[in-house]
Amino acid sequence: MSEVIVITSGKGGVGKTTTTANIGAGLALLGKKVVLIDADIGLRNLDVVMGLENRIVYNVIDVVEGSCRLKQALIKDKRFDNLYLLPAAQTRDKSAITPQQMRKLCSGLKEEYDYVLIDCPAGIEQGFKNAIAGADKAIVVTTPEVSAIRDADRIIGLLEANELRNPSLIVNRIRTQMVKRGDMLSIDDVVDVLAVHLIGAIPDDEQIVISTNNGDPIVGTQSVLSGKAFTNICKRILGEDVPFIDLHSPKGFISRLKNMIKFGNS
Amino acid sequence: MKESVLIKGNQHGLTLILNPDIDFETLKEELKKKIIDGKSFFGKAKVSLMLKGRELIEEEQNALVQLITDYSDLSIICLMDEHFEQANEELKNDSEDADNEAFFYRGTLRSGQVLNMDKSIIIIGDVNPGAKVISKGNIIVLGALKGNVHAGCEGNIQAFVVALSMEPLQIIISDVIARSPDKAEKQTLNEPKIAFVEGHSIYIEPLNHNRLNEIAMPN
Repeated sequence: MSEVIVITSGKGGVGKTTTTANIGAGLALLGKKVVLIDADIGLRNLDVVMGLENRIVYNVIDVVEGSCRLKQALIKDKRFDNLYLLPAAQTRDKSAITPQQMRKLCSGLKEEYDYVLIDCPAGIEQGFKNAIAGADKAIVVTTPEVSAIRDADRIIGLLEANELRNPSLIVNRIRTQMVKRGDMLSIDDVVDVLAVHLIGAIPDDEQIVISTNNGDPIVGTQSVLSGKAFTNICKRILGEDVPFIDLHSPKGFISRLKNMIKFGNS
Repeated sequence: MKESVLIKGNQHGLTLILNPDIDFETLKEELKKKIIDGKSFFGKAKVSLMLKGRELIEEEQNALVQLITDYSDLSIICLMDEHFEQANEELKNDSEDADNEAFFYRGTLRSGQVLNMDKSIIIIGDVNPGAKVISKGNIIVLGALKGNVHAGCEGNIQAFVVALSMEPLQIIISDVIARSPDKAEKQTLNEPKIAFVEGHSIYIEPLNHNRLNEIAMPN
């Protein structure tokens, strides 16, 4: 029952890598054996967000070119023994690997891991084609911005054309106050436009920025709303029926959000 | 009065300046005497030989090479012709040579860039995270080292890495590897540091006078 899931968005900077890191860590926290593949060859980030940059010796290109064994390139996570990272090469580009090679790599990893998560690069070119080649399922990440939604729509179309139907949607960086004022699209608006299954909504959160910079995924930190939201996404991936968090609840969160907005304006 | 043979050192080995006006057998005798006298001075080394001042046929050249290798501990790895004074490939690859020659790189090495040289490398600039410097010899960064370095990459365990600001992700010297700590330590004093191997571990220490003396006179 292993699954290969690609996390993609079309547009850059919407939070693919952060989402991959957090879902990976979250699934590992729930006891699953997980491997993350960074498919963003030449602009790798997942290792930095996971805080594993200093452990990289071999990478995915070394594996497909046969310069090392797969086991040598896999990096074990700092916190979870059942979470591994296969880093991208930084000195090469997207053409260094082919969709066929990715497919072979994914099917090999599937035998040993419960979940294989692929961090897709931005864009729709070769990097995207490589990343989706071996995937069974797709998660599309977007933010409540018109441009990001436009790109997500395009991506959903391309996924369907490649036999990846019914992708799940994550709406990232929701700012409740702005939605309330009518200055930002709501989750429902986004789902209306894209008409795909919503698997999670993540509030915009300072803590995410801090955790990303520290190389320490926030998932599992139940006191932080975004951490909780990621945990819920992981549970939904495992098939649990978890109710959505009410992002409008006044308890603590709003005041924190207010502070953040102030911070953003200063 | 002109000497029959003059022995000079050059950057890669020895140059013999031969008197063209005397008989070859006399010249050989003179050279033999000088080589024997200088045996301990020359020591044991791999050198290249350059012959100047006299036209020699191949047999004569071979005879001179034979004579030098017979009466000293030197081994001649190549003969250099007067018009071709550049370093021989084989010499260039010699690790001792990598230790004594350096390549200057001016500018910042950014993520994804790789600098790979046979010679030692001196970088006037920073090495950013994600950049890689690989050398058969030593690596000196006159700036901040925040990326990956591999010194003595063909097995020279004596190789070292120096940086004005030492905060690398990874250092490899020969086949010994060290990585940065996960919790970033607050650097109290940003002073020049040196990384070297001792007992199969990499040590990073401030670059002080004692350390410099050890580099200048190994053993």
